[in-house]
Amino acid sequence: MGPKHQIKIVLLFLASIFFVAQGCDPSKGAYTREQSSEVEVAKPVDENEEYVMVTTFVNFPMYVNHDQAAFLRWGKKMGVKTTVLGPTEWDVVAQIGVIEQVIPSKPAGLLINGTDPAIASAIDKAVDAGIPTVVYDSEIPNSKRHAFLGTDWYEIGQLQGEALVELIHGKGKIAYMGLVGQTNMENGFRGLLDVVKKYPGIEVLGKYDSKGSTENAAKITADLIAANPDLAGVCGFDAISGPGIGLAIKEAGKAGKIKVTTVDWEPEHLRLVREGVIDVLIGQKRELFTWYGAQFLYDMVHKTNQLSADDQKAGITNVPFAVNTGLLKITKDNIDLFDPSK
Amino acid sequence: MSFNSNIFQDRVVTLALTIVVLIVVSSIIWPQQFFSLENLSLVLLNLSIDAIVAVGMMILLISGAFDLSVGSVVAFAGGFAGYLMYYWGVYVPVAILAALAVSVVIGFVNGWLVAKVGINPLIQTLAMMGIVRGLALMVSGSGIQNLPDSFNRLGQAQFLGFQLPVWYMIAIVIIFSFLVARTIFFRRYYYIGGNEKAALLSGIQVGKMKIYSFILMSFLAGLAGIILASRLGAAMPTTGQGLELKVITAVILGGASLLGGQGKIVGALLGTLFMGIIANIMILARVSGYWQQIIFGIILIAAVAIDLLLQKRADRMATALVKMKQFEKFDT
Amino acid sequence: MPLPSLSYLIDPDEKDRIRLRLKNISKRFPGVLALDQVNFDLKVGEVHAICGENGAGKTTLMNILSGNLQPDEGSIFLHGDEVKITDPQEAQRQGIGIVYQEKSLVGNLSVADNIFAGNQPVSKWHLIDRRKLINQTQQLLRKLGMHDIDAHGRVDKLSPGKQQMVEIAKALSRDPQILILDEPTAAISEQDTKVLFKIVRLMVSQGKSVIYISHRMSEIFEVSDRVTVLKDGKYQNTLGTKDTNVNEIIRLMVGRDIKEFDYQNLSTSEVVLSVSELEGDRFKNISFQLHRSEILGFAGLVGAGRSEIAQSIFGVTPDTGGQVLIRGKKVKSNEVANAIENGLGYLPENRKEQGLFLEMSVEDNISSVKSNTQTRGIFIERKGNAALTEEFVRQLNIKTPSGKTKVVSLSGGNQQKIVLAKWLAVNPDILIVDEPTAGIDVGAKSEIYQLLNQLTMAGTSIIMISSDLPELLGICDRILVFRHGRITADLSREKFSEEEIMHYSSGTKDMYREKI
Repeated sequence: MGPKHQIKIVLLFLASIFFVAQGCDPSKGAYTREQSSEVEVAKPVDENEEYVMVTTFVNFPMYVNHDQAAFLRWGKKMGVKTTVLGPTEWDVVAQIGVIEQVIPSKPAGLLINGTDPAIASAIDKAVDAGIPTVVYDSEIPNSKRHAFLGTDWYEIGQLQGEALVELIHGKGKIAYMGLVGQTNMENGFRGLLDVVKKYPGIEVLGKYDSKGSTENAAKITADLIAANPDLAGVCGFDAISGPGIGLAIKEAGKAGKIKVTTVDWEPEHLRLVREGVIDVLIGQKRELFTWYGAQFLYDMVHKTNQLSADDQKAGITNVPFAVNTGLLKITKDNIDLFDPSK
Repeated sequence: MSFNSNIFQDRVVTLALTIVVLIVVSSIIWPQQFFSLENLSLVLLNLSIDAIVAVGMMILLISGAFDLSVGSVVAFAGGFAGYLMYYWGVYVPVAILAALAVSVVIGFVNGWLVAKVGINPLIQTLAMMGIVRGLALMVSGSGIQNLPDSFNRLGQAQFLGFQLPVWYMIAIVIIFSFLVARTIFFRRYYYIGGNEKAALLSGIQVGKMKIYSFILMSFLAGLAGIILASRLGAAMPTTGQGLELKVITAVILGGASLLGGQGKIVGALLGTLFMGIIANIMILARVSGYWQQIIFGIILIAAVAIDLLLQKRADRMATALVKMKQFEKFDT
Repeated sequence: MPLPSLSYLIDPDEKDRIRLRLKNISKRFPGVLALDQVNFDLKVGEVHAICGENGAGKTTLMNILSGNLQPDEGSIFLHGDEVKITDPQEAQRQGIGIVYQEKSLVGNLSVADNIFAGNQPVSKWHLIDRRKLINQTQQLLRKLGMHDIDAHGRVDKLSPGKQQMVEIAKALSRDPQILILDEPTAAISEQDTKVLFKIVRLMVSQGKSVIYISHRMSEIFEVSDRVTVLKDGKYQNTLGTKDTNVNEIIRLMVGRDIKEFDYQNLSTSEVVLSVSELEGDRFKNISFQLHRSEILGFAGLVGAGRSEIAQSIFGVTPDTGGQVLIRGKKVKSNEVANAIENGLGYLPENRKEQGLFLEMSVEDNISSVKSNTQTRGIFIERKGNAALTEEFVRQLNIKTPSGKTKVVSLSGGNQQKIVLAKWLAVNPDILIVDEPTAGIDVGAKSEIYQLLNQLTMAGTSIIMISSDLPELLGICDRILVFRHGRITADLSREKFSEEEIMHYSSGTKDMYREKI
């Protein structure tokens, strides 16, 4: 293992790495480059051009501070209308309802938080209605979405696992928690387990449901500590459980002794890193999801890049099919760069 | 004929009027977007699950009880059917029947413990809510996709411009409106909700009837869960969270009372329709998430307050009429 | 017994002074004139009874006095000064206290908390001073002669009769100059009635005034000095109690003579109900037989276990021993539907809490037993129920605008007839009626007696539980007296008298203990 502070900012996958799949074979690329400048004049920006983001749990701080903030900033820069819609609770069925009911009002583009594979049919309805539709955060397989931007949750799990293994030197009792039942979390859990199972010295105590509540996460952690005084590490997968885990560990006076890794770099998380309670944060570049997602929609609407004489007829989309925006890793050593406030 | 025909006394009428006003105003503001068959069909589709659950909740509230476990049952029934079909390859109708059977068992346990052991419905169904949610997570994990096509068609096919769940909802509302209005069996719930002690002393087997009502509630919630899973083509363990309060709100808007003894099935439909239209308007008006809850809360209070005012006026007129009629009789 | 003997306690100058005068009071509800130019005056140191059938305007008048309603016309004078009683608080400030027929107590609070609701003594930190509260309550209860009520006890643990006494104590805790009692004895026992009358006499001896509303003529003649009669919102007359009689007052009230009830013995020797060794939580060793066409009275003090026994026979509460045979057939206990199927009917004591579906229609109420136990089909027989309702509305002279009217809007007497009708609809062989005339007016009472008599003519047997002794004496063929959950006497008509029954119910005599 390399030394801990070797990597300051790890950009594991760059935004420029595009996965081009299925419908787009590389052969078409050459044709495009030659034709793009002459085919059609790009559509001018209309001030009534509206881009709608449909998410769930719309008031969730992480979504507001990263996803929505970047999206709204993008709208301002481009001079177009941006709207954020969706239920205030984590309610995928309601999100589906919102997507479906937005379709008749024909927005220029739809940017959809890929919360659950079950939203596939609603996405298909939007695509069938001729609305450019981009999914971000988690992939919705089996849907007709035009493009996807996100991170690989399996990888988040792997990274957390690797960091934790390093922190506890490959042995001891660990536990992990998140929103049990949510597809992306479950993928993350798998990634974590695939890493730690290679170390026979690690005993996995179990998977716990934070239920999206800090209090709940704190309670679970406190119980775990009480039952296992030799608890070595905890992994949190949702942005809400981190503060709960931190609180319980602080209260037990075990800060620094029990190693903690969590996902996302909310202010509370950053503070806990500073305090030495959380050791490693794996962060997503959520701003890039929505900024570039919106940009993709814009490029589709304005036909910025024309790949064929008629892309629609040719059955191709003129934006990347799937984008992995990569991850970032925050530790005590690089925290100042992310949280200059102190 | 009688003063009961005073229309403002009936929540169903006042709510229907409110909905008509909403529709007219929205149609003027968004002539193309709101007043279209497509939008209507989407609004109905998105309230169909709630409305089916609301029918059962209306019956429970008429009898003076309620069930908080419905949201979990919705998730569990869909998940259980999905599990059987996806992992065990069970024949679709068998999986559906099995999921309904399990829902019925949940309802029976709720009903039995409430009626025979005397546990408060709030505590009983709250506990059941947690238990069943856990079961739903167990069977469907992070969700089950790729359910059989023949199953998905049940919720995704169209008929006369509406997706099938809309038709299921209409059928259930019509059937139960008829049964609740016309059968002796369902009329008993009005007696029980109106005065449980008097119902018992009138020879109604209150305990048994309570068990039946919880079974029916769970059955409808299970059915709604299966329809939802087939509509989504996937079973999600997180569906139906918060559904219980949404449905109880809709049902009370639709004329039920937490004290029992009051309500009509069509009120359950109107209550959910009202909430569905408000949600639709908020989407069309592009109301952001921050404002949704505030506006929804205000509308809810306004709807109930206006209704109460209308009722009070009607009540005063009714008492006056009764007095007048009594005097007439004294005179003759 | 009027009270001339007490007048010496009052300053002769004060006596006969008018304390309260209502002049030409009118109150109009939309479409109805509830009070029409009513005059009323209340003297210092007098008990003034107000009589009238339900709907005569008594309640409206009381609501005006207590500030719940404002008169449209007319004026109110207190000690000669015109006053406006704008709300109940104002009435309290003017020294008017009222004991409502409807309970205003909070069941899960203590007696003390209820009596001093809203004006509990407080310590300097404005916290309730519990010791002072309890002390004051105990003093008050002692002063009022309510020795058997515990100031600490929870109100809902008390019998309805004792609750009524607490209600009275609550009104008196504010030391009103004028006390309004609305049907105060409807739910209380004979003994408590005596306590109440003592309180009333004490009050007038101190120069206070009491307005007494009651349907019970005997009480009015026992306690009041003057009687004012209202009919259909109009003032009829005010009479000195000494100078009038029951018949005159009833004539003023109803505008006609009430037919005296003529007793007929229709009882046969055929046994329809045989109860032996019945035991329950609050009664034991209950054995008796009921004959065809017999009216059997259950006498006893409130709390003697009569209603519990009736409910046990009816299958409401599980009996813990003994057996009930209907026409020689064992009845499955703990199943009301079964009892009804075997021809039993039960008209419960508290019609609002146990008998009626207040928010439902007259029709739904009348058909409630029949459609739930006797109708074979699945669907509600709307036509059948409407016809049934029409028949009973006519037969029992129920005053209702229509069969669809909610029962809650009808008067007590009409409500009671509806509860009766729901049982008559299933034509029971045995009907248990528990306090069937509590709180209803003379006219309706006499109609109910006629009806019970007609039923026995048709072969029905009746068990009548009542705390109104004259009523039992008038109608019953035989009376069982209960005390502390035991039968203490079985009296045939020749042997019963009020004194005799009081002896057996208060424990000074016991037919069975003597034998043992």
